[in-house]
Amino acid sequence: MRNILTIAGKELRSYFTSPMAYVLAVFYLGIIGYIFIAIFLLMPQAQTEHLRDLIGSMLFLTLFIIPMLTMGLFAQERASGTMELLMTRPVRDWEVVVGKFLATVSLFASVIIISMSYPAILEVVAKVDWAMILTGYLGLLLAGAAFAALGTFASSLTSNQIAAAIIAVFMLLFLWLVGALSYSVSQSLGDVFKHLSVMENYQDFSKGIIDTKNIIYFLSLIFVSLFLAVRTIENRRTI
Amino acid sequence: MIQADGLTKYYAQHPAIVDVSFQVEEGEIVAFLGPNAAGKTTTMRILTGYMPATFGTAQVAGFDLAEQSLQARRNIGYMPEAVALYPDMRVYQYLSYCGRLQGMGKAELTERMEYVIDRCGLSERASSIIGTLSLGFRQRVSLAQAMLHDPPVLILDEPTVGLDPNQIVEVRELIKSLAGDHTVLLSTHILPEAQMTCERVIIINEGEIVAEGSPQALTAQLRQAETLLVTIRDDDGTVARQIKNIPEVVDVRSAEQASSYYVETEVGSDLRADLSKFIVEKGWGLLELRPVEMSLEDVFRELTTEEKGVA
Repeated sequence: MRNILTIAGKELRSYFTSPMAYVLAVFYLGIIGYIFIAIFLLMPQAQTEHLRDLIGSMLFLTLFIIPMLTMGLFAQERASGTMELLMTRPVRDWEVVVGKFLATVSLFASVIIISMSYPAILEVVAKVDWAMILTGYLGLLLAGAAFAALGTFASSLTSNQIAAAIIAVFMLLFLWLVGALSYSVSQSLGDVFKHLSVMENYQDFSKGIIDTKNIIYFLSLIFVSLFLAVRTIENRRTI
Repeated sequence: MIQADGLTKYYAQHPAIVDVSFQVEEGEIVAFLGPNAAGKTTTMRILTGYMPATFGTAQVAGFDLAEQSLQARRNIGYMPEAVALYPDMRVYQYLSYCGRLQGMGKAELTERMEYVIDRCGLSERASSIIGTLSLGFRQRVSLAQAMLHDPPVLILDEPTVGLDPNQIVEVRELIKSLAGDHTVLLSTHILPEAQMTCERVIIINEGEIVAEGSPQALTAQLRQAETLLVTIRDDDGTVARQIKNIPEVVDVRSAEQASSYYVETEVGSDLRADLSKFIVEKGWGLLELRPVEMSLEDVFRELTTEEKGVA
């Protein structure tokens, strides 16, 4: 546990010593703010339920933000050669993977917590359904963590950060769009696609429903991705 | 403290090292000497637990690198060949990160950090951002992190590469002073370095160990002839041929300067008196006559360029 926290702490700090964290946070919160204004100040018939769409757009943005946060996790260590020393420390491979993953998740969590100020602002003038908002955020956090796990895996595959980001975005886009494919294939395959889809599994959260099925989906996505990242790193040792 | 048994490592089909076996006793400083791409780094990466060997086993501080990798790694301080540090961290931040990964407690870490920062001459740079440091200082930071957790075994891959002559001397002194309490295996392709810092040398070439022993033993072992350097004044061109006719002389080669010759004689013979008499009698004007010691450099060249298997 200590090793995981040490690695997570170091990664978090390096997010903030590079402009990365600030640029992405400003970009993310800025766009969300713009959408917030567009919905609630410019649309006369806006309802507080529209916050659901706001969180939906946050999820879509997350798809692009997370790969930028995860791309360097391993790719940079490999490119700069620091991987060698890290891998000769008395630290297990999975501890390194989990530590780095947690750094990205905690940065993402802090950014979305800041974004809660938007519904809080709305609370001043209208009645906000906080239960719905919080389940939406729970879904967003789970999805963001799953994206981060996939991004961690993508970063373990290469020493090129840009390649790592592109691999991650494509994998995430696949999981995003696979649900749409379900209507153009056979029923049984369509069901499989639906189960794989991020959108399908997120929807219930946005409606204020917490379903274990969806939680298991995101948790297994996290587990499988991190497992693959650990295996990739183990294999990379042998060549 | 370090035990390698039949280490073999293949990269795809190409063997980087073949059947490398050696032992380093507690408190010894041993140089791992070889030309570039001889397999030094590969061997060290196996010994530090960075990657497994294809065949063979290795133990460090009594722990098997394959079976008890974490325990073994706890006992090793490693300075990799490419000095790779996190450029955005400050020196003390980096060292503290390394120490925590090595499982050091807070009090111990503070104390050891102070110690290695001082020993490695980093006192004035402790709060510098690593990215702004010169190569020499980065090298010291790399050495500092290897020493930080006071490991019984230090594995240093080319520790003096990229340093200026003064720094090289400092680092060598530092490494020498670690002997006794620490077991040190350092790799180098610089011969005087091995000769000056180490008690024992292991020479590796094309992935195989070709010789092993103290620098003195190695040079003695490889001496196949006694060599005398002779310089004369009046060379009429027949000197080499005439000296060669002396019975005990094996060979005569021209030396670097004009009218100088290396005279090789049978092992154990001392021809200095006879040869000087001979030259004086011929009236060639003897300017210089002295025995030539084979340096480790010659040993190294002999082993790594010509036929192998001397050891």
